[in-house]
Amino acid sequence: MIEVLLRSLLLAAASAGLLLLVGPLLAYLNRRPYPGRTLVESLLLTPLALPPTVLGFYLLLLLSPGGPIARISGLSLAFTFPGMVLGASVFSLPFAYTAYREAFRALDEDLLETARTLGAGRFRRVREVMLPLVWPGIVSGTLLAFAHALGEFGVVLMVGGNIPGKTQVASTYIYDLVEGLEFSAAHRASIVMLALAFAFVYLTRALEERWRSTTGSTGHSRSR
Amino acid sequence: MEIHYRIHRPLPLAVAFRVEGFTALLGPSGAGKTTLLKALAGLLPAEGTPYAGLPPEKRPIGYLPQNAALFPHLTAWQNVAFALPQLRGADRERVARAWLQRFGLAHRAEHRPRELSGGEARRVALARALARNPELLLLDEPTAGLDRPNRDQVLRAILYAVEEHGVHALVATHDPELAHAADRLVVLDAGRMLQAGPGDEVYRRPATLRVARLLGFENLIPGAVAGYRPPHVEVATKAGILRVPGNPLPPGTRVVLAVRPEEVLIVREDRPLKPLDAGNTIAGRIRRLRRMGPVVEAEFEGAFRLVLRLPRHVQDRLELRPGEPRRIVLKPRYLQLFSEEEEASFSSD
Repeated sequence: MIEVLLRSLLLAAASAGLLLLVGPLLAYLNRRPYPGRTLVESLLLTPLALPPTVLGFYLLLLLSPGGPIARISGLSLAFTFPGMVLGASVFSLPFAYTAYREAFRALDEDLLETARTLGAGRFRRVREVMLPLVWPGIVSGTLLAFAHALGEFGVVLMVGGNIPGKTQVASTYIYDLVEGLEFSAAHRASIVMLALAFAFVYLTRALEERWRSTTGSTGHSRSR
Repeated sequence: MEIHYRIHRPLPLAVAFRVEGFTALLGPSGAGKTTLLKALAGLLPAEGTPYAGLPPEKRPIGYLPQNAALFPHLTAWQNVAFALPQLRGADRERVARAWLQRFGLAHRAEHRPRELSGGEARRVALARALARNPELLLLDEPTAGLDRPNRDQVLRAILYAVEEHGVHALVATHDPELAHAADRLVVLDAGRMLQAGPGDEVYRRPATLRVARLLGFENLIPGAVAGYRPPHVEVATKAGILRVPGNPLPPGTRVVLAVRPEEVLIVREDRPLKPLDAGNTIAGRIRRLRRMGPVVEAEFEGAFRLVLRLPRHVQDRLELRPGEPRRIVLKPRYLQLFSEEEEASFSSD
């Protein structure tokens, strides 16, 4: 039980970390419209509407020993932990990306332009204006991706194969328990997952609230 | 400081004028005011002098977009300190706070932008822009959306910056009152400069009807030239002959007389009028009265309708009542004469 829970947490952390590496960059590049942006964004968000089994099936084909990745690199990720990280990342991408995108879109272009007129070069503009304003969105997107990957079932089952001691995580473990009619054990594991999920979503919301209260306005005259 | 600028995008614009002290850039929405300010700040590509080719970071300017653009994650003094990268630590904070002090904002130094009123935010933004010691301030609608006290404070802050720090300020606005306070006035419409000159002169003698409208000449009276009696043109209107200063025009020319609501005066029947003014009176009735803060707006109906605006203390003396007959006087020096062809050439814009 502890072991699968740790593997779940590790899986969630690894995929959230992977998304943190690529997600904000994608959101930054998609900040302004360009021909084909709708197409690109739709592709990034498609996992939202896709049955996890479909995504898992294609990932499996892609990562299998006879698949294209194995042929190029000789690396077969099917039924391995790294393969599961990849699957969970793709599946959580829409959540993280949406939050990242909002953070960059909410960034007032006037602030960056004014910073320029105040003599700030690119480095100062990014470090002193852009990052302080987008980081709460990046943190909340990453936390959401973490929470989502923690509970992911379909893709990790397809790609990981639910191999005990190797690719079994909390969600697939609970599935096994219920199938084996071990309800009290399933209940114990489930309640831990429930608490974890709630804690992470709560943390994300609390951060968003705090963010809004400190960076709500740039000095517009607002009607109150 | 002479400004010669040509811009192609987002809208074509070509201007040449002088900025001196507080210079107002007046024009309706979409005239190109923001475009010109951004181009001067280096945020839009443009050709011309000064500064063309320099990146915004290198231009000796201070730019305030319409919303003041204070950094929301920084307090007021930290916002000012952003413009002082050459200073370190305690020095930087001391100088930043001193700038706030000069704008009467020392007590707001620790506050974040969302806790400031619109007027305070713009004053902080002004302090921040000045802290860089620019030679030209570019202010985009600095009083838009402000209530009266805030607006007056922002105006005083601009005048302070110009008078005490010797900086030139180019201020985009569509507020005729702000424009009237300016040393120089540049009128812009649809990417074209309609008129430029000393503020009071432009304000008093708008070159075209379009400029007159932008400067608050709300009452327009159509008529035709009837004759010339130096130095006045005689214009036949529905209310009879009215005299207005101007150069002779061929009789029969269609013209428009323009007058500001503040400059239509009620005749005090207990006082004699000057002969010249007496010829320009119109009899009619007060239709409606409306209190608008310190002024009262009245609608007068005689041979045509006019809007009047009078200070409350004048209304207290006159005691106008709706429905009562009154005479108004259009003093020649407050009347502006425009020929109608001019008008036609504007509407084709």
